[in-house]
Order: sequence, then structure tokens, then C-alpha cells
Amino acid sequence: MAHYTDYHSFSEAFIAFGSFGRAHGLNIGINENTESLITAEMLWGEEDYMKYAIRSLYCKSPDEFESFDIIYDRFWERKKLTVKSKVTYKNQTNLTKPSKASLVMLGEGESNEDEQNEARSTSGANAKESFRKTDFAKVQDINSEQLEQLADELWNQMNLRLKRRLKMGKKGHIDLQKTIRKNISKGGTFIDLIKKKKDVQKFRLLVLLDVSGSMDKYSFYLLRFIYSLRSNFENVEAFIFSTRLIKITEYLDAKNIKESLAILRHQADNWSSGTKIGSCLKDFNERYAKRMLNGRTMTLILSDGLETGDPTLLEDELKKIKLRSKKMVWLNPLKGMDGYEPIQRGMKVAMPNIDHFSSAHNIESLLSLEKILINA
Amino acid sequence: MFNHPSELIPKLDALDYVVDEELATVLFLMMQLKKPLLLEGNPGVGKTEAAYILAKLLDTELIRLQCYEGLDVQAAMYEWNYQKQLLAIKIQEQSELSAEEKESLIFSDEYLLKRPLLQSILSEKTTVLLIDEIDRADEEFEAFLLELLSAYQISIPELGTVKAVSKPIVVLTSNRTRELSDALKRRCLYFWVPYPDSSKELAIIKKHIPEIEDQLANQIIGVIQKLRKLKLDKTPGIAETIDWVKGIMALDIKELDEFNISQSLSCILKSANDTRLIKQEASSLFQ
Repeated sequence: MAHYTDYHSFSEAFIAFGSFGRAHGLNIGINENTESLITAEMLWGEEDYMKYAIRSLYCKSPDEFESFDIIYDRFWERKKLTVKSKVTYKNQTNLTKPSKASLVMLGEGESNEDEQNEARSTSGANAKESFRKTDFAKVQDINSEQLEQLADELWNQMNLRLKRRLKMGKKGHIDLQKTIRKNISKGGTFIDLIKKKKDVQKFRLLVLLDVSGSMDKYSFYLLRFIYSLRSNFENVEAFIFSTRLIKITEYLDAKNIKESLAILRHQADNWSSGTKIGSCLKDFNERYAKRMLNGRTMTLILSDGLETGDPTLLEDELKKIKLRSKKMVWLNPLKGMDGYEPIQRGMKVAMPNIDHFSSAHNIESLLSLEKILINA
Repeated sequence: MFNHPSELIPKLDALDYVVDEELATVLFLMMQLKKPLLLEGNPGVGKTEAAYILAKLLDTELIRLQCYEGLDVQAAMYEWNYQKQLLAIKIQEQSELSAEEKESLIFSDEYLLKRPLLQSILSEKTTVLLIDEIDRADEEFEAFLLELLSAYQISIPELGTVKAVSKPIVVLTSNRTRELSDALKRRCLYFWVPYPDSSKELAIIKKHIPEIEDQLANQIIGVIQKLRKLKLDKTPGIAETIDWVKGIMALDIKELDEFNISQSLSCILKSANDTRLIKQEASSLFQ
């Protein structure tokens, strides 16, 4: 571990502190180092002032502000360091696709033979069509790769279409017709310019994905779906939850989906355990809601609604999110099943707070989100 | 100019702004390094106030740019006075001037409407430029600020690059409703403004309402500090505390009790949910 006594001169130690901070996640460049040296010269010998000054140079967020104290003390005073190191991307195993998990609820049990074969026995263009309708839960390992490819392709197309539509009508161009009409009274000289309507406001998207045990078969594909949304839109925030809530927006930025999925798998030790939707939403409301929700946010919840916690809590927290966002969409993979009714305790209390309720069990159902997003 | 951060504390104190060593250091540093300062913090902790006080301290003008969604170059930097230009063209129709002369005339200083950013760099005397609630503006606008914040210059296509006559002291504030871009942050000093602790808050109250008695003030601060620990929809800031103290003084309350807390709650709580919650638990605020 680096410590200031290991260095001969003050400036040497100072530069070493810069790299020490960098190693602990602070974003410190040459500029910051130079300025901190200038600062140190000005405030030499006055520990507190120097610390505050360097903190304002090195830190760029409240979290960094907090961890800086520990990093600083550790380097200059040799105190115990408890800063979390960054997650390393290397040597992570690839995420395996959900294979054998069973659907436990609704007394459905294992699906029958016919349905299992529904995707396998087709070929060619016909296969594509049928893949679109294949329930994620019934995908076999053999054609999962094809399915993933098709899914990515279709979702990307959808996102592209959405993006184009959002871009249209950008900037206030001059509306010639109305301008001429309006300026007749001014002798035909264009004094007042009438502009076309301002561009469509960008919406924000908040995605909350359930990764609990009952969602096991779907969460992998849904995560891919979120990944594809995120890579196409700037304003997407994503979370996964089961018994606790984890923010995953940053991981979706990584270039390689396999890497990010592996990191997520690593992070989510609660992956495939019970569901406490209410308390996770509460956590969200307390920590993120103010920052992420506004009148332009569309909230997208991907969950089967099988709540094992208190349903009243779920209702209250859902109401809060609903109040702060523009639209609330709940996609439930179970809705794809014949005869499904939202009558479990979780879904029942949630229903009154939802603007759109639809299924999310195959590619096609997710593609139908396009219609909702367009009107968002 | 100042030689040491500690010199700032009494000077700002004399201007009725309570500042601790941490903030004083950062203010000192921004003047020394001539770097913009980014203040982040919850609403009502005195971020905007800091810029106003800085302007007072340096005895200079404060130019404020309030950011909002859709803020564009025209509103922030400059705009050509289109109507006036058109009239000028009409008037010049009969004149002997060549086309080039006419053009240079209508694209001259006279027809330029200077918006806050341009004003601040063209001012003869150093000004304090407050870019308030930058998190409300679009990301595009943020990118656009980069040129100003690093090189202190603005490019106007018709006139060329306008360099700063005097470098303004720039304060940016953000409520952190969204994360700002790294590029912008790197150009700024950063300071997270926390809620004040009891002693600082007492000092602030005494600055604003000197006639308040210590006992009452301490009681109020005790309640406020407890409220901040609760998970409210809208946590009360210093502004709310001051409003509340003023309210309590107006109601001529000498000592806080459950009844007069709920009587004056509207000063500090801004949400129906919070009000309901606190009314239920008013008694626990004294323990």
C-alpha cells in the first residue's frame, strides 16, 4: 500500500497520491495533479484547508466526496482503508442461459411435449416467424442462439424506428405559409417569423426488471431487451430487483453484452431468489425517485407480480412512482399464458396504478412496446 | 485579493453569510486558480446564495443565467435583433452603400442582443456569472458551455470569436436531478453542499433573525434536524428553516409544542404526505 513516507520529496508524494486516488476510482488527470500542487504550495502546512482544497479538485460527486476522506487519511496518515475497489471486468465467466428452472406457480407445472417442440420443428422464413412467438420459457438450448440473434435484430430495428420518429420535427424551422399570412399586414416584409412547433420532447425511460426465481426463465431475455433499449436511447435508467434493488445502468454501457451480463450475475447474489417488489420500490423511491422521475419519465416494470412481501407496501410505493412519472407500463410474462388473470395479491393491488398492462413472454410481445413508446 | 481561505470567513460573515472552512477554502481556490465552481446539493442549502454573496464580497455585478429545459444559444448567449436589422435594410434601400457595407452594418454590435453569457465576458470589470440549476438544461447546452468555461471565449459566426475582456468568476449550481457530463465537471472545482449541522444552522438563523432567543432557536433546529433524518418527500432546507422561524416569530410563539408545530407546518413541509406523517408523529420530534 502506498504511503507518503515512501517518497523522498513532497511533490513526488503528491503525484503518488494522485495515482493512489486514481487507483481508488477518482478521476484524476495531469490537470488535477498540477493544480493540486499549486494549491498545496499556497496552503502549505494547513492540513484541513489543504484537504478541502484538494477534495474539490479531485472529486466530482457526493459519493466521491465521501470516499475522499478515507482515501486521503489512508495515504497521509496510514489509516485503515475501507473503500470499495472497482469491479474488475477480467476473468468473469460467461453468463449461462437459464435452462432448467421451472415455472412454479399457477399449478401449471412442466409444460407439455407439444409446446416444447413448438419452436424446434420449423425452419427457414417460417422459423423466424415462429421464433417471434416462442415463449422464452420454452426455448431450447439448440435454438436459443438463433433466437437471441433475431431478438437483437428486431429490437434494434424497433429502436431505430423510434429514434427516427423522435428526431423528426426537430428544431423550430420557419413555417413559410403562416409567416407570409401573418406578415400581409406589414406590406409583405417578414417582420414576424412564425416557427414550426418545437421538437418533440425526449422522454426518459426507467426500467425495473424482476430477476427473482419465478422470473428465472425470462430475466435473461428481458435483460437483453433492456440492453438493446439502453444502447439506443440516451435517457434510460435500469434497475434489477428481487429482494433488493441494484442499479445497473452503468453496466449496460459496456461495449460487450456478455461482459456486462457476467458482471451483473456477479453483482446480483440475489438473482433467482424470492421477490419483495414493495420494499425494492420503496428503496427506489427513497434513493433515486427524485432524481430520475419527472413528467417525462415512462416507467417500465418487467415482473410477474408474484409478491412475497406486504402487498399494501407495494401499492403505496407504486402510487408514488406513478405520481411522479408520465406513464406506468407493466409487462408481465405470465400474461402470455392462456387464461391468465392478474389476481395474485401483488398484481391485484398494482393493477389500478398501471396505464398499460401487457405480456412480455416472447419477442413479439416486447416489440409491441413500440406503440406505447411512440405515444410516450 | 485574499492570501488565505480563513480571511474569507469573517468577511463573508460581515455580509450575513455563514461559511465554514470547507466552503471558504473552495471559494478561495476558485479565485486563485480562476476556475469555475460547481456547487451541488439538495434544494435550499444556499448554493445560489453563495454566488450572490461572492458578488457582494468582490463588489461586482452578478449576472445570472437561470437554466431550464430547452434553453438555447439565443436565450443564453446572443441573438441578432432581427426586426431592427430588417428595418435597417429598408432604410438603406435608397442609400449609396455597397452590399458589403450594408452587410457589415447590419451585423454590427448595434444589432446584437447580448444575453447573460456574452454580457459577462464583455464586461470591463470582472463579474460573477451564476449559471443556476444547470441540471435542468439539456446535455447539448452543457457541451456548448465547455468553450466558455475553458477558453473564456464565444464563437459568433458573423463576428468571429469573441474573447473575454475580463474573465468572469463562474459559479454553477445543480440540484443533481441528473448527472452532469464528465467533460463539464472536469473543468470545474466541485463542492457538495451538505445540510448544515446544528451550530452552523443556529448561526445562520441568528444572522437572519437576530432577535430570536437561543432557547427557541435551539428547539427549532432540533426539530428540523430530526425532520431531515426522516424520509420525507421534500426535505426542508435552510430556506425552509428561516421561513419557519419567521412564521413562528409572526405567530408570537415563545416555546414550541405539538400544537404550534402543526399550526406552522406549512412553512417547512411542502407535501400532503409529509404533513400527514409529521402531524401523526409531532410528539416524537421532541424526544
